Amino acid sequence: MRLSCLVAALALCALTQACVNLPRDPEGTLARVEGGRLRVGLVEHPPWVVRTEGEPSGAEVELVRRFAAELRSRPEWHWGGEQRHMEALERFELDLVVGGVTDQTLWWKYVGLTGPYFEEAYAVGFPGAPTPPPKGLKGLEVAVREGDPLAYYLSKEGAVPTRVLSLQPPSGPAAAPTWELESLGLTPSGQTLHTEKHVMAVAPGENGFLRRLEEFLSRERPHVKGLLQKEAVR
Amino acid sequence: MSAYAPEVDFRLPPDKEAALARARRIEWWSIFFLGTIIVVLAFTMGSSQAMKAMWVEDTVSLIPFAAFLIGAHFRRRPPDDSFPYGYRRAILIAFLAGSVTLLGFGLYLFGESVYKLLAAERPTVQTVELFGRRVWLGWLMVAALLYSVVPPFVLGRMKEPLARELHDKALHASATINKGDWLAGLAGVAGIFGIAYGLWWADSAAAAFISLEIVRDGFSNLRNSVAQLMNKRPTDVESKEDDPVVDEVQRALLGLGWVREARVRLREDGDTLSGEAFVVPRDERDLFERLQQAAEVVHEVDWRLHDVNIVPFETLEPSGVEEGGEGA
Repeated sequence: MRLSCLVAALALCALTQACVNLPRDPEGTLARVEGGRLRVGLVEHPPWVVRTEGEPSGAEVELVRRFAAELRSRPEWHWGGEQRHMEALERFELDLVVGGVTDQTLWWKYVGLTGPYFEEAYAVGFPGAPTPPPKGLKGLEVAVREGDPLAYYLSKEGAVPTRVLSLQPPSGPAAAPTWELESLGLTPSGQTLHTEKHVMAVAPGENGFLRRLEEFLSRERPHVKGLLQKEAVR
Repeated sequence: MSAYAPEVDFRLPPDKEAALARARRIEWWSIFFLGTIIVVLAFTMGSSQAMKAMWVEDTVSLIPFAAFLIGAHFRRRPPDDSFPYGYRRAILIAFLAGSVTLLGFGLYLFGESVYKLLAAERPTVQTVELFGRRVWLGWLMVAALLYSVVPPFVLGRMKEPLARELHDKALHASATINKGDWLAGLAGVAGIFGIAYGLWWADSAAAAFISLEIVRDGFSNLRNSVAQLMNKRPTDVESKEDDPVVDEVQRALLGLGWVREARVRLREDGDTLSGEAFVVPRDERDLFERLQQAAEVVHEVDWRLHDVNIVPFETLEPSGVEEGGEGA
Protein backbone atom coordinates (compact mmCIF):
# COMPACT_ATOMS: atom_id res chain seq x y z
CA MET A 1 0.00 0.00 0.00
CA ARG A 2 2.60 2.51 1.17
CA LEU A 3 4.87 1.34 -1.64
CA SER A 4 2.31 2.07 -4.32
CA CYS A 5 1.67 5.52 -2.80
CA LEU A 6 5.37 6.23 -2.95
CA VAL A 7 5.59 5.10 -6.55
CA ALA A 8 2.56 7.17 -7.50
CA ALA A 9 4.09 10.22 -5.84
CA LEU A 10 7.37 9.59 -7.61
CA ALA A 11 5.63 9.29 -10.94
CA LEU A 12 3.68 12.50 -10.40
CA CYS A 13 6.79 14.37 -9.41
CA ALA A 14 8.63 12.98 -12.41
CA LEU A 15 5.87 13.89 -14.83
CA THR A 16 5.65 17.48 -13.64
CA GLN A 17 9.15 18.81 -13.13
CA ALA A 18 11.81 16.15 -13.63
CA CYS A 19 10.64 15.76 -17.24
CA VAL A 20 12.93 18.64 -18.09
CA ASN A 21 16.24 16.91 -17.32
CA LEU A 22 15.22 13.27 -17.57
CA PRO A 23 15.99 10.81 -19.06
CA ARG A 24 19.72 10.87 -18.42
CA ASP A 25 22.46 9.27 -20.51
CA PRO A 26 24.26 6.30 -18.95
CA GLU A 27 27.43 7.46 -20.77
CA GLY A 28 26.75 11.19 -20.38
CA THR A 29 26.73 11.97 -24.12
CA LEU A 30 24.56 15.09 -23.93
CA ALA A 31 26.57 16.67 -21.12
CA ARG A 32 29.84 15.96 -22.95
CA VAL A 33 28.61 17.25 -26.31
CA GLU A 34 27.17 20.50 -24.97
CA GLY A 35 29.90 23.08 -25.37
CA GLY A 36 32.27 20.33 -26.55
CA ARG A 37 32.70 18.33 -29.71
CA LEU A 38 30.09 16.24 -31.51
CA ARG A 39 31.61 13.17 -33.17
CA VAL A 40 29.58 12.53 -36.33
CA GLY A 41 29.96 9.51 -38.59
CA LEU A 42 29.14 10.38 -42.21
CA VAL A 43 28.12 7.78 -44.78
CA GLU A 44 28.05 9.15 -48.33
CA HIS A 45 24.45 9.14 -49.56
CA PRO A 46 23.46 12.10 -51.76
CA PRO A 47 21.48 14.20 -51.29
CA TRP A 48 21.43 13.36 -47.56
CA VAL A 49 25.17 13.31 -47.04
CA VAL A 50 27.34 14.59 -49.90
CA ARG A 51 31.10 14.30 -50.06
CA THR A 52 32.87 17.30 -51.53
CA GLU A 53 36.44 18.49 -51.83
CA GLY A 54 36.00 20.71 -48.80
CA GLU A 55 33.41 20.72 -46.05
CA PRO A 56 30.76 17.99 -46.27
CA SER A 57 27.33 18.98 -47.46
CA GLY A 58 23.89 17.40 -47.78
CA ALA A 59 20.53 17.77 -46.08
CA GLU A 60 21.47 15.74 -43.02
CA VAL A 61 24.87 17.38 -42.70
CA GLU A 62 23.08 20.74 -42.64
CA LEU A 63 20.67 19.44 -39.98
CA VAL A 64 23.57 18.19 -37.85
CA ARG A 65 25.30 21.60 -38.20
CA ARG A 66 22.18 23.32 -36.89
CA PHE A 67 21.81 20.81 -34.07
CA ALA A 68 25.46 21.29 -33.07
CA ALA A 69 24.98 25.05 -33.11
CA GLU A 70 22.00 24.65 -30.79
CA LEU A 71 24.18 22.69 -28.36
CA ARG A 72 27.08 25.20 -28.81
CA SER A 73 29.06 22.21 -29.93
CA ARG A 74 31.70 21.75 -32.62
CA PRO A 75 30.88 18.96 -35.14
CA GLU A 76 33.74 16.63 -35.99
CA TRP A 77 33.19 14.80 -39.28
CA HIS A 78 34.32 11.22 -39.82
CA TRP A 79 33.83 9.69 -43.27
CA GLY A 80 33.39 5.97 -43.56
CA GLY A 81 31.16 3.03 -44.34
CA GLU A 82 28.01 2.16 -42.46
CA GLN A 83 29.40 -1.06 -40.96
CA ARG A 84 32.36 0.64 -39.33
CA HIS A 85 30.39 3.68 -38.21
CA MET A 86 27.59 1.67 -36.63
CA GLU A 87 30.08 -0.49 -34.77
CA ALA A 88 31.83 2.62 -33.52
CA LEU A 89 28.45 4.01 -32.45
CA GLU A 90 27.62 0.82 -30.59
CA ARG A 91 30.94 1.15 -28.70
CA PHE A 92 30.40 4.86 -27.94
CA GLU A 93 33.25 5.99 -30.19
CA LEU A 94 30.85 8.16 -32.19
CA ASP A 95 27.87 10.21 -31.02
CA LEU A 96 25.80 10.31 -34.18
CA VAL A 97 25.70 8.59 -37.58
CA VAL A 98 23.92 10.05 -40.62
CA GLY A 99 23.73 8.89 -44.20
CA GLY A 100 20.15 8.40 -45.39
CA VAL A 101 19.44 5.80 -42.71
CA THR A 102 15.82 4.67 -42.61
CA ASP A 103 13.79 2.97 -39.90
CA GLN A 104 14.26 -0.29 -41.83
CA THR A 105 17.95 -0.41 -40.90
CA LEU A 106 19.09 -3.73 -39.56
CA TRP A 107 21.26 -1.89 -37.05
CA TRP A 108 18.25 -1.08 -34.86
CA LYS A 109 19.23 -3.87 -32.50
CA TYR A 110 22.67 -2.48 -31.78
CA VAL A 111 22.33 1.29 -31.85
CA GLY A 112 19.67 3.82 -30.87
CA LEU A 113 17.46 5.32 -33.57
CA THR A 114 15.46 8.52 -33.58
CA GLY A 115 11.84 8.32 -34.60
CA PRO A 116 11.25 9.04 -38.31
CA TYR A 117 11.70 12.76 -38.97
CA PHE A 118 11.05 12.70 -42.70
CA GLU A 119 8.84 10.50 -44.82
CA GLU A 120 10.09 10.16 -48.35
CA ALA A 121 7.28 9.13 -50.66
CA TYR A 122 8.27 7.66 -54.02
CA ALA A 123 5.95 8.16 -56.96
CA VAL A 124 5.80 8.43 -60.74
CA GLY A 125 5.89 11.99 -62.10
CA PHE A 126 4.47 13.10 -65.42
CA PRO A 127 5.60 16.00 -67.55
CA GLY A 128 3.10 18.79 -67.99
CA ALA A 129 0.99 19.59 -64.97
CA PRO A 130 -2.48 20.16 -66.42
CA THR A 131 -3.03 16.86 -68.26
CA PRO A 132 -4.48 14.41 -65.80
CA PRO A 133 -2.02 11.51 -65.37
CA PRO A 134 -3.30 8.08 -66.41
CA LYS A 135 -5.12 6.03 -63.81
CA GLY A 136 -2.89 2.99 -63.67
CA LEU A 137 0.77 2.36 -64.42
CA LYS A 138 0.17 -0.86 -66.38
CA GLY A 139 2.40 -1.17 -69.41
CA LEU A 140 3.68 2.39 -68.95
CA GLU A 141 7.36 3.01 -69.62
CA VAL A 142 8.82 4.83 -66.63
CA ALA A 143 12.37 6.13 -66.28
CA VAL A 144 14.18 5.11 -63.13
CA ARG A 145 17.80 5.61 -62.09
CA GLU A 146 20.16 2.73 -62.72
CA GLY A 147 20.59 0.60 -59.59
CA ASP A 148 17.58 2.01 -57.80
CA PRO A 149 15.40 -0.55 -55.94
CA LEU A 150 12.46 1.55 -57.05
CA ALA A 151 12.47 -0.39 -60.35
CA TYR A 152 11.14 -3.35 -58.39
CA TYR A 153 8.18 -1.39 -57.06
CA LEU A 154 7.48 -0.13 -60.59
CA SER A 155 7.34 -3.65 -62.06
CA LYS A 156 5.14 -4.70 -59.14
CA GLU A 157 2.62 -2.09 -60.29
CA GLY A 158 2.83 -3.39 -63.84
CA ALA A 159 4.95 -0.53 -65.21
CA VAL A 160 7.97 -1.13 -67.47
CA PRO A 161 11.02 0.39 -65.76
CA THR A 162 13.56 1.98 -68.09
CA ARG A 163 16.93 2.23 -66.36
CA VAL A 164 18.65 5.53 -67.09
CA LEU A 165 21.86 7.10 -65.80
CA SER A 166 20.21 10.41 -64.98
CA LEU A 167 16.63 11.59 -64.75
CA GLN A 168 17.73 15.02 -65.98
CA PRO A 169 16.37 16.29 -68.29
CA PRO A 170 13.09 14.40 -67.95
CA SER A 171 11.90 12.87 -71.21
CA GLY A 172 8.66 11.27 -70.04
CA PRO A 173 7.26 9.68 -66.89
CA ALA A 174 9.92 9.14 -64.22
CA ALA A 175 9.99 7.52 -60.78
CA ALA A 176 11.66 9.34 -57.87
CA PRO A 177 10.86 10.82 -54.46
CA THR A 178 8.08 13.39 -54.74
CA TRP A 179 10.33 16.24 -53.60
CA GLU A 180 12.68 15.42 -56.51
CA LEU A 181 9.84 15.08 -59.02
CA GLU A 182 8.80 18.60 -58.08
CA SER A 183 12.34 19.84 -58.71
CA LEU A 184 12.37 18.09 -62.08
CA GLY A 185 9.16 19.86 -63.03
CA LEU A 186 7.16 16.65 -63.06
CA THR A 187 3.72 16.25 -61.51
CA PRO A 188 3.56 13.29 -59.14
CA SER A 189 0.63 10.97 -59.63
CA GLY A 190 -1.37 10.37 -56.50
CA GLN A 191 -0.17 6.78 -56.23
CA THR A 192 2.74 6.18 -53.84
CA LEU A 193 5.10 3.40 -54.95
CA HIS A 194 7.11 3.19 -51.78
CA THR A 195 7.76 5.13 -48.58
CA GLU A 196 10.99 5.50 -46.67
CA LYS A 197 11.09 6.87 -43.16
CA HIS A 198 14.36 8.62 -42.44
CA VAL A 199 16.01 8.45 -39.04
CA MET A 200 19.37 9.24 -37.47
CA ALA A 201 21.42 6.80 -35.40
CA VAL A 202 22.78 7.52 -31.93
CA ALA A 203 24.68 5.44 -29.39
CA PRO A 204 22.50 2.78 -27.71
CA GLY A 205 20.66 3.80 -24.56
CA GLU A 206 21.79 7.45 -24.59
CA ASN A 207 18.21 8.50 -24.04
CA GLY A 208 18.87 12.08 -22.92
CA PHE A 209 20.87 12.91 -26.05
CA LEU A 210 18.31 11.07 -28.17
CA ARG A 211 15.46 13.08 -26.68
CA ARG A 212 17.27 16.37 -27.38
CA LEU A 213 17.95 15.30 -30.98
CA GLU A 214 14.37 14.21 -31.55
CA GLU A 215 13.05 17.50 -30.22
CA PHE A 216 15.36 19.31 -32.63
CA LEU A 217 14.36 17.15 -35.60
CA SER A 218 10.69 17.58 -34.78
CA ARG A 219 11.17 21.36 -35.09
CA GLU A 220 13.17 21.03 -38.33
CA ARG A 221 10.67 18.68 -39.93
CA PRO A 222 9.06 21.33 -42.20
CA HIS A 223 12.46 22.41 -43.57
CA VAL A 224 13.80 19.01 -44.61
CA LYS A 225 12.14 19.00 -48.03
CA GLY A 226 13.63 22.42 -48.83
CA LEU A 227 17.09 21.24 -47.80
CA LEU A 228 16.81 18.20 -50.08
CA GLN A 229 15.66 20.26 -53.07
CA LYS A 230 18.45 22.79 -52.53
CA GLU A 231 20.95 19.95 -52.46
CA ALA A 232 19.59 18.31 -55.63
CA VAL A 233 20.02 21.56 -57.60
CA ARG A 234 23.76 21.69 -56.86
CA MET B 1 -21.73 -48.47 -15.69
CA SER B 2 -22.08 -47.81 -12.01
CA ALA B 3 -23.98 -50.06 -9.69
CA TYR B 4 -26.58 -47.37 -9.22
CA ALA B 5 -27.70 -44.49 -11.38
CA PRO B 6 -25.38 -41.53 -11.28
CA GLU B 7 -26.44 -39.10 -8.63
CA VAL B 8 -28.19 -35.92 -9.65
CA ASP B 9 -25.83 -33.06 -10.24
CA PHE B 10 -24.18 -31.52 -7.24
CA ARG B 11 -25.98 -28.41 -6.01
CA LEU B 12 -24.18 -25.66 -4.16
CA PRO B 13 -25.82 -24.33 -0.98
CA PRO B 14 -27.64 -21.05 -1.80
CA ASP B 15 -25.09 -18.81 -0.07
CA LYS B 16 -22.23 -20.49 -1.94
CA GLU B 17 -24.19 -20.20 -5.16
CA ALA B 18 -24.33 -16.43 -4.59
CA ALA B 19 -20.61 -16.33 -3.85
CA LEU B 20 -19.90 -18.27 -7.04
CA ALA B 21 -21.99 -15.84 -9.09
CA ARG B 22 -20.03 -12.98 -7.56
CA ALA B 23 -16.73 -14.72 -8.26
CA ARG B 24 -17.78 -15.21 -11.87
CA ARG B 25 -18.62 -11.52 -12.22
CA ILE B 26 -15.24 -10.56 -10.74
CA GLU B 27 -13.45 -12.92 -13.12
CA TRP B 28 -15.23 -11.36 -16.07
CA TRP B 29 -14.12 -7.93 -14.89
CA SER B 30 -10.60 -9.27 -14.49
CA ILE B 31 -10.57 -10.41 -18.08
CA PHE B 32 -11.99 -7.11 -19.28
CA PHE B 33 -9.41 -5.01 -17.44
CA LEU B 34 -6.60 -7.35 -18.39
CA GLY B 35 -7.62 -6.96 -22.03
CA THR B 36 -7.36 -3.18 -21.79
CA ILE B 37 -4.04 -3.46 -19.94
CA ILE B 38 -2.60 -5.75 -22.60
CA VAL B 39 -3.55 -3.26 -25.32
CA VAL B 40 -2.16 -0.26 -23.41
CA LEU B 41 1.11 -2.03 -22.66
CA ALA B 42 1.48 -3.18 -26.27
CA PHE B 43 1.19 0.43 -27.46
CA THR B 44 3.81 1.76 -25.06
CA MET B 45 6.15 -1.23 -25.00
CA GLY B 46 8.99 0.25 -27.09
CA SER B 47 12.29 -1.52 -26.49
CA SER B 48 11.94 -1.96 -22.73
CA GLN B 49 12.56 -5.50 -21.59
CA ALA B 50 10.55 -4.93 -18.40
CA MET B 51 7.56 -3.80 -20.45
CA LYS B 52 7.83 -6.92 -22.58
CA ALA B 53 7.94 -9.11 -19.48
CA MET B 54 4.91 -7.32 -18.05
CA TRP B 55 3.04 -7.77 -21.27
CA VAL B 56 3.72 -11.51 -21.27
CA GLU B 57 2.85 -11.74 -17.57
CA ASP B 58 -0.50 -10.08 -18.18
CA THR B 59 -1.25 -12.06 -21.31
CA VAL B 60 -0.62 -15.44 -19.72
CA SER B 61 -2.56 -14.26 -16.66
CA LEU B 62 -5.63 -14.56 -18.83
CA ILE B 63 -5.29 -18.35 -18.76
CA PRO B 64 -6.17 -19.01 -15.11
CA PHE B 65 -8.96 -16.42 -15.23
CA ALA B 66 -10.44 -18.06 -18.28
CA ALA B 67 -9.85 -21.49 -16.72
CA PHE B 68 -11.97 -20.52 -13.74
CA LEU B 69 -14.82 -19.35 -15.95
CA ILE B 70 -14.67 -22.42 -18.17
CA GLY B 71 -14.64 -24.57 -15.06
CA ALA B 72 -17.61 -22.68 -13.63
CA HIS B 73 -19.45 -23.34 -16.87
CA PHE B 74 -18.69 -27.06 -17.04
CA ARG B 75 -19.31 -27.78 -13.38
CA ARG B 76 -23.00 -27.28 -14.03
CA ARG B 77 -23.19 -29.97 -16.67
CA PRO B 78 -24.70 -33.16 -15.23
CA PRO B 79 -22.95 -36.52 -15.64
CA ASP B 80 -24.01 -38.53 -18.68
CA ASP B 81 -23.40 -41.99 -20.07
CA SER B 82 -20.06 -41.09 -21.63
CA PHE B 83 -18.81 -39.18 -18.60
CA PRO B 84 -20.47 -40.81 -15.62
CA TYR B 85 -18.32 -38.87 -13.16
CA GLY B 86 -19.43 -35.55 -14.63
CA TYR B 87 -17.38 -32.81 -16.20
CA ARG B 88 -15.89 -30.99 -13.27
CA ARG B 89 -12.43 -32.42 -13.77
CA ALA B 90 -12.20 -31.00 -17.30
CA ILE B 91 -10.92 -27.81 -15.75
CA LEU B 92 -7.82 -29.59 -14.53
CA ILE B 93 -6.64 -30.14 -18.08
CA ALA B 94 -6.97 -26.44 -18.87
CA PHE B 95 -5.20 -25.69 -15.65
CA LEU B 96 -2.31 -27.99 -16.45
CA ALA B 97 -1.87 -26.54 -19.93
CA GLY B 98 -2.01 -23.02 -18.54
CA SER B 99 0.58 -23.63 -15.89
CA VAL B 100 3.00 -25.25 -18.32
CA THR B 101 2.65 -22.20 -20.58
CA LEU B 102 3.23 -19.89 -17.64
CA LEU B 103 6.33 -21.76 -16.56
CA GLY B 104 7.75 -21.91 -20.08
CA PHE B 105 7.25 -18.20 -20.75
CA GLY B 106 8.69 -17.32 -17.37
CA LEU B 107 11.85 -19.33 -17.93
CA TYR B 108 12.31 -17.94 -21.44
CA LEU B 109 11.90 -14.35 -20.29
CA PHE B 110 14.20 -14.88 -17.33
CA GLY B 111 16.89 -16.27 -19.61
CA GLU B 112 16.49 -13.38 -22.03
CA SER B 113 16.63 -10.77 -19.26
CA VAL B 114 19.73 -12.26 -17.72
CA TYR B 115 21.33 -12.43 -21.16
CA LYS B 116 20.59 -8.75 -21.72
CA LEU B 117 22.11 -7.93 -18.37
CA LEU B 118 25.26 -9.90 -19.10
CA ALA B 119 25.56 -8.53 -22.62
CA ALA B 120 25.06 -5.04 -21.15
CA GLU B 121 22.38 -4.27 -23.75
CA ARG B 122 21.21 -0.68 -23.40
CA PRO B 123 17.51 0.03 -23.77
CA THR B 124 16.96 2.96 -26.14
CA VAL B 125 13.68 4.71 -25.46
CA GLN B 126 12.49 7.29 -27.96
CA THR B 127 10.14 10.22 -27.63
CA VAL B 128 6.72 10.40 -29.21
CA GLU B 129 4.59 13.28 -30.40
CA LEU B 130 1.70 13.76 -28.00
CA PHE B 131 -0.67 16.73 -28.27
CA GLY B 132 1.95 18.67 -30.17
CA ARG B 133 4.73 17.99 -27.66
CA ARG B 134 7.57 15.49 -27.64
CA VAL B 135 7.07 13.21 -24.68
CA TRP B 136 9.56 10.59 -23.60
CA LEU B 137 7.97 7.18 -24.16
CA GLY B 138 9.27 6.09 -20.73
CA TRP B 139 6.72 8.35 -19.02
CA LEU B 140 3.94 6.78 -21.04
CA MET B 141 5.26 3.35 -20.02
CA VAL B 142 5.11 4.42 -16.38
CA ALA B 143 1.55 5.63 -16.85
CA ALA B 144 0.58 2.37 -18.57
CA LEU B 145 2.22 0.30 -15.83
CA LEU B 146 0.53 2.29 -13.07
CA TYR B 147 -2.77 1.69 -14.81
CA SER B 148 -1.93 -2.01 -14.99
CA VAL B 149 -1.37 -2.10 -11.23
CA VAL B 150 -4.79 -0.90 -10.08
CA PRO B 151 -7.28 -3.50 -11.39
CA PRO B 152 -5.34 -6.61 -10.27
CA PHE B 153 -4.75 -5.01 -6.87
CA VAL B 154 -8.46 -4.38 -6.30
CA LEU B 155 -9.80 -7.51 -7.99
CA GLY B 156 -7.26 -9.82 -6.34
CA ARG B 157 -8.34 -8.58 -2.94
CA MET B 158 -11.97 -9.22 -3.82
CA LYS B 159 -11.22 -12.76 -4.99
CA GLU B 160 -9.29 -13.97 -1.99
CA PRO B 161 -12.18 -14.19 0.52
CA LEU B 162 -14.38 -15.74 -2.16
CA ALA B 163 -11.78 -18.39 -2.92
CA ARG B 164 -11.67 -19.24 0.78
CA GLU B 165 -15.44 -19.39 1.01
CA LEU B 166 -15.84 -21.52 -2.12
CA HIS B 167 -12.74 -23.63 -1.44
CA ASP B 168 -11.90 -22.98 -5.06
CA LYS B 169 -8.27 -23.48 -5.97
CA ALA B 170 -8.63 -22.09 -9.47
CA LEU B 171 -10.01 -18.88 -8.01
CA HIS B 172 -7.28 -18.80 -5.42
CA ALA B 173 -4.66 -19.24 -8.13
CA SER B 174 -6.15 -16.37 -10.06
CA ALA B 175 -6.05 -14.17 -6.94
CA THR B 176 -2.39 -15.09 -6.46
CA ILE B 177 -1.64 -14.22 -10.05
CA ASN B 178 -3.36 -10.86 -9.59
CA LYS B 179 -0.99 -10.22 -6.74
CA GLY B 180 1.96 -11.16 -8.93
CA ASP B 181 0.62 -8.85 -11.65
CA TRP B 182 0.54 -5.72 -9.56
CA LEU B 183 3.85 -6.47 -7.90
CA ALA B 184 5.42 -6.98 -11.31
CA GLY B 185 3.83 -3.74 -12.51
CA LEU B 186 5.56 -1.83 -9.71
CA ALA B 187 8.84 -3.55 -10.53
CA GLY B 188 8.36 -2.43 -14.13
CA VAL B 189 7.85 1.18 -12.98
CA ALA B 190 11.09 0.95 -11.01
CA GLY B 191 12.83 -0.37 -14.14
CA ILE B 192 11.63 2.55 -16.28
CA PHE B 193 12.67 5.06 -13.61
CA GLY B 194 16.03 3.31 -13.69
CA ILE B 195 16.33 4.03 -17.42
CA ALA B 196 15.29 7.64 -16.82
CA TYR B 197 18.11 8.07 -14.30
CA GLY B 198 20.65 6.53 -16.65
CA LEU B 199 20.80 3.12 -14.96
CA TRP B 200 20.60 1.01 -18.08
CA TRP B 201 20.61 -2.29 -16.13
CA ALA B 202 17.49 -1.40 -14.12
CA ASP B 203 15.19 -2.34 -16.97
CA SER B 204 16.58 -5.85 -17.48
CA ALA B 205 16.86 -6.37 -13.73
CA ALA B 206 13.19 -5.48 -13.31
CA ALA B 207 12.35 -7.82 -16.18
CA ALA B 208 14.29 -10.63 -14.50
CA PHE B 209 12.34 -10.02 -11.30
CA ILE B 210 9.04 -10.04 -13.18
CA SER B 211 9.91 -13.23 -15.02
CA LEU B 212 10.81 -14.92 -11.74
CA GLU B 213 7.33 -13.97 -10.59
CA ILE B 214 5.93 -15.66 -13.71
CA VAL B 215 8.05 -18.77 -13.05
CA ARG B 216 6.78 -18.88 -9.48
CA ASP B 217 3.16 -18.63 -10.61
CA GLY B 218 3.71 -21.28 -13.23
CA PHE B 219 5.46 -23.68 -10.92
CA SER B 220 2.94 -23.49 -8.09
CA ASN B 221 0.05 -23.87 -10.51
CA LEU B 222 1.74 -26.80 -12.19
CA ARG B 223 2.31 -28.52 -8.86
CA ASN B 224 -1.27 -27.87 -7.90
CA SER B 225 -2.81 -29.18 -11.07
CA VAL B 226 -0.61 -32.27 -11.15
CA ALA B 227 -1.51 -32.98 -7.52
CA GLN B 228 -5.20 -32.71 -8.33
CA LEU B 229 -4.89 -34.86 -11.43
CA MET B 230 -3.15 -37.46 -9.28
CA ASN B 231 -5.97 -37.34 -6.74
CA LYS B 232 -3.98 -35.90 -3.90
CA ARG B 233 -5.86 -35.81 -0.61
CA PRO B 234 -7.76 -32.55 0.00
CA THR B 235 -5.66 -29.62 1.19
CA ASP B 236 -6.52 -26.16 2.37
CA VAL B 237 -6.93 -23.51 -0.34
CA GLU B 238 -4.38 -21.15 1.18
CA SER B 239 -2.14 -22.94 3.65
CA LYS B 240 -1.86 -26.07 1.49
CA GLU B 241 -2.06 -28.06 4.71
CA ASP B 242 -4.09 -31.24 4.95
CA ASP B 243 -7.78 -30.56 5.08
CA PRO B 244 -9.26 -31.91 8.35
CA VAL B 245 -12.37 -33.00 6.46
CA VAL B 246 -11.02 -36.55 6.03
CA ASP B 247 -10.74 -37.03 9.78
CA GLU B 248 -14.10 -35.40 10.34
CA VAL B 249 -15.80 -37.85 8.01
CA GLN B 250 -14.05 -40.73 9.73
CA ARG B 251 -15.15 -39.47 13.16
CA ALA B 252 -18.74 -39.05 11.93
CA LEU B 253 -18.77 -42.65 10.71
CA LEU B 254 -17.28 -43.98 13.92
CA GLY B 255 -19.96 -42.01 15.76
CA LEU B 256 -22.52 -44.38 14.29
CA GLY B 257 -23.11 -47.18 16.78
CA TRP B 258 -22.94 -50.01 14.25
CA VAL B 259 -19.58 -49.00 12.74
CA ARG B 260 -16.65 -50.85 14.24
CA GLU B 261 -13.95 -49.50 11.95
CA ALA B 262 -13.86 -46.90 9.21
CA ARG B 263 -11.30 -45.64 6.74
CA VAL B 264 -11.86 -42.71 4.41
CA ARG B 265 -10.09 -41.60 1.28
CA LEU B 266 -11.08 -38.43 -0.53
CA ARG B 267 -9.94 -36.48 -3.55
CA GLU B 268 -10.68 -33.01 -4.83
CA ASP B 269 -12.76 -32.61 -7.97
CA GLY B 270 -12.38 -28.89 -8.42
CA ASP B 271 -14.44 -27.53 -5.54
CA THR B 272 -16.15 -30.77 -4.47
CA LEU B 273 -14.76 -33.71 -2.56
CA SER B 274 -15.43 -37.28 -3.64
CA GLY B 275 -14.12 -40.65 -2.67
CA GLU B 276 -14.85 -43.75 -0.67
CA ALA B 277 -15.50 -44.60 2.94
CA PHE B 278 -14.75 -48.18 3.89
CA VAL B 279 -16.71 -49.34 6.93
CA VAL B 280 -16.68 -52.52 8.96
CA PRO B 281 -20.10 -53.07 10.55
CA ARG B 282 -20.33 -54.81 13.94
CA ASP B 283 -22.97 -57.12 12.41
CA GLU B 284 -24.85 -57.36 9.16
CA ARG B 285 -28.27 -56.42 10.49
CA ASP B 286 -30.17 -53.84 8.33
CA LEU B 287 -27.04 -53.28 6.29
CA PHE B 288 -28.79 -51.48 3.42
CA GLU B 289 -30.56 -49.01 5.71
CA ARG B 290 -27.38 -48.47 7.69
CA LEU B 291 -25.31 -47.74 4.59
CA GLN B 292 -27.97 -45.29 3.45
CA GLN B 293 -27.82 -43.61 6.84
CA ALA B 294 -24.02 -43.52 6.72
CA ALA B 295 -24.09 -41.82 3.31
CA GLU B 296 -26.43 -39.15 4.66
CA VAL B 297 -24.27 -38.59 7.73
CA VAL B 298 -21.13 -38.31 5.61
CA HIS B 299 -22.59 -35.79 3.18
CA GLU B 300 -23.68 -33.60 6.06
CA VAL B 301 -20.15 -33.19 7.39
CA ASP B 302 -19.18 -30.63 4.79
CA TRP B 303 -21.04 -28.96 1.95
CA ARG B 304 -18.28 -29.88 -0.48
CA LEU B 305 -18.75 -33.63 -0.02
CA HIS B 306 -20.38 -35.14 -3.06
CA ASP B 307 -20.67 -38.65 -4.38
CA VAL B 308 -18.88 -40.35 -1.48
CA ASN B 309 -19.40 -44.11 -1.70
CA ILE B 310 -19.86 -46.15 1.47
CA VAL B 311 -18.26 -49.54 0.98
CA PRO B 312 -18.90 -52.26 3.59
CA PHE B 313 -16.03 -54.61 4.42
CA GLU B 314 -15.72 -57.58 6.71
CA THR B 315 -12.37 -56.40 7.99
CA LEU B 316 -9.89 -53.64 7.25
CA GLU B 317 -6.53 -55.33 7.16
CA PRO B 318 -3.61 -52.96 6.67
CA SER B 319 -3.48 -53.11 2.92
CA GLY B 320 -2.57 -49.57 1.91
CA VAL B 321 -6.00 -48.56 0.67
CA GLU B 322 -6.68 -46.44 3.73
CA GLU B 323 -6.06 -42.73 3.89
CA GLY B 324 -2.66 -41.97 5.25
CA GLY B 325 -1.43 -45.28 3.91
CA GLU B 326 0.03 -44.27 0.60
CA GLY B 327 -1.73 -41.03 -0.26
CA ALA B 328 -1.07 -37.58 1.16
